[in-house]
Amino acid sequence: MTSQYIINQLVNGLCQGFIYALVALGVAVIIGIVGFATFTQGEVVMIGAYTSFYVFTSAGNHLVLGLLASFATTWILGMLIYKVCYEHFLDAPEHISLLCTIGFSMLLKNLATIVFGVEKKPMLDIINNKIYHFGPIQVTKVQLVIMATVLIVCLILVLVFTKTNLGIRLKAVSQNREAAALVGINVKTTAMVGNCIGCAMAGIAGTLIGIYYQSAYATMGSTLSMKAFTSATLGGLTDVPLSALGGVLIGIMENLGIAFTSASYRDIFSFGFLIIMLLFKPNGFAKKRGGSRA
Amino acid sequence: MIGTTLTKIKDVYRRFYYIFNLLIIIALMFVPQVFSKSKMTIICTMCGYFIIVGALNVINGYCGQMCFGIAGFYCVGAYVMAILMQTFHVSYWLALIPAGIVAALLGAVVALPALRMKGMFLAMITIGFSEVMRLLALNWTSVTGGAMGIKGIKSPTFFGIKMGGASKYYYIYIVIVLLFLFCTRRVMKSRVGRAWLSIREDEMAAKSLGVEIKKYKIYNFMYGAFWAGIAGALLAPYTRYIDSTYFTLEEGFNVLAMLVIGGQGTLAGPFVGVGVYQLIIETLRPIGVWRFVACALLIIVMMWLRPQGLVGASNSKLAGAGKKAGRKKAKKAESGEV
Repeated sequence: MTSQYIINQLVNGLCQGFIYALVALGVAVIIGIVGFATFTQGEVVMIGAYTSFYVFTSAGNHLVLGLLASFATTWILGMLIYKVCYEHFLDAPEHISLLCTIGFSMLLKNLATIVFGVEKKPMLDIINNKIYHFGPIQVTKVQLVIMATVLIVCLILVLVFTKTNLGIRLKAVSQNREAAALVGINVKTTAMVGNCIGCAMAGIAGTLIGIYYQSAYATMGSTLSMKAFTSATLGGLTDVPLSALGGVLIGIMENLGIAFTSASYRDIFSFGFLIIMLLFKPNGFAKKRGGSRA
Repeated sequence: MIGTTLTKIKDVYRRFYYIFNLLIIIALMFVPQVFSKSKMTIICTMCGYFIIVGALNVINGYCGQMCFGIAGFYCVGAYVMAILMQTFHVSYWLALIPAGIVAALLGAVVALPALRMKGMFLAMITIGFSEVMRLLALNWTSVTGGAMGIKGIKSPTFFGIKMGGASKYYYIYIVIVLLFLFCTRRVMKSRVGRAWLSIREDEMAAKSLGVEIKKYKIYNFMYGAFWAGIAGALLAPYTRYIDSTYFTLEEGFNVLAMLVIGGQGTLAGPFVGVGVYQLIIETLRPIGVWRFVACALLIIVMMWLRPQGLVGASNSKLAGAGKKAGRKKAKKAESGEV
């Protein structure tokens, strides 16, 4: 076990953590703005990956095109999820919409198995992969592209949330729904847009995962859903930046863990980390809220 | 109309309570003589699900907790049973109790952090626990056999009769199911059961009236986990082979789906849920994978139309009586159909 190996695992962990962070960020946006949890996120990731797979096979390997296509598809899917799972239950206890999202995720997963088939779809060599060396650090081009994409998406998200009218409306709805309605914000539409943003983040993450692992398959979402949720839980469920931090940490933890043991223990590390974290800090990294909500 | 008929049936049932129950038990004893062997396999599977869905109902339905990781307790029960029987050569009947007790102790361990958090955080803790248990079973090769699982678990013998095969093993299942029903009914009528219901409806109010929330939540988790462990322990010698694929999160969600369809917070709920779910799975076999789509759709439709499930507790928080929208429903429930 050389230090070189550990550094490489750190880089892998960072890259994986960035993807988790993107999905977790979507979860946090949804929980913050819609006010309900989601278990469908992993399946949205899967739909995003399949969308980009079909774009790549039909229109050639344009990464940006794939990202845009999966963004659009999952945005529409987000509208559907909102209509089916949330809008009807805005005033009901949270477990009802939660069970509804579980039902919806089962639906998506089984439909995907039927429509796309059970075998893995290969997404080979979307960008010409190269390996760069920076001193002892070894980074592949795919990893750099993924990290850059995640950073750009996060930057756009921050700009939308702070600089635009829409962002202010979203914030208002997440802070106090009734007060937002009083000042003339259409709460239902805004909540739907929030849900769509959350889902679209997952869609982009789907494309990135597709090019990172070079495949798309129907059951790819289930563990990812849990990982994203774990990360969001670490961030206190509603805090967007902290959830992203949680995602990065989970990614690094996992890869360091498997560096010292074996790859089959991967999920034990992330869930063990979650349980230990929550034992000492029941609200995750967040200072307040969290526990009272959800 | 349907409501009054139901109450009439209930009245008749209450009047001849013991006779009816005796008749039902006698009828249940003759089930293996009536049905073919392939049908008996389905019935045995259903019996196994009755117990675990009932166990989940104790936690989610009666106490209003959000336990999504029931498969973890199921897994523990099955593996403890298999290991005791294979490695330590303990007899079936003696191994059954420790399997349940180990699961119950783990339930207490899970309940400890759960006391401080609720809702989504609790759901995540239990999901994490369930996955950790499954992965331990998958990776701790020296004890659990790893990916190969544990093979050749012996069927039990009862006074010299070998209880192998679905038609014989059915008797063990049905006795445990009846025992579960009897115990749960007694518990729910006791102080403990009422405390659970009060925690479900309003934790603050229950606390202010002197219900020791912590104690009863731990009891609740232990009781639910115990029966989930027993369900696992029954499964291992029945299938005679277990590995970690029996206890995935999907399996946990299937159990949850059955509970949701059937109805939470009543004794009959798990029975209806398992019945309907298995009926769909078995009768729609010709349409292949589409039947799982049908099940998923059924969950969503159920949440839209009857969030407490088919025969769930309609006068409770589970029926959506939360905030604004709930009040109307609660009023309706009070005036009419309780």
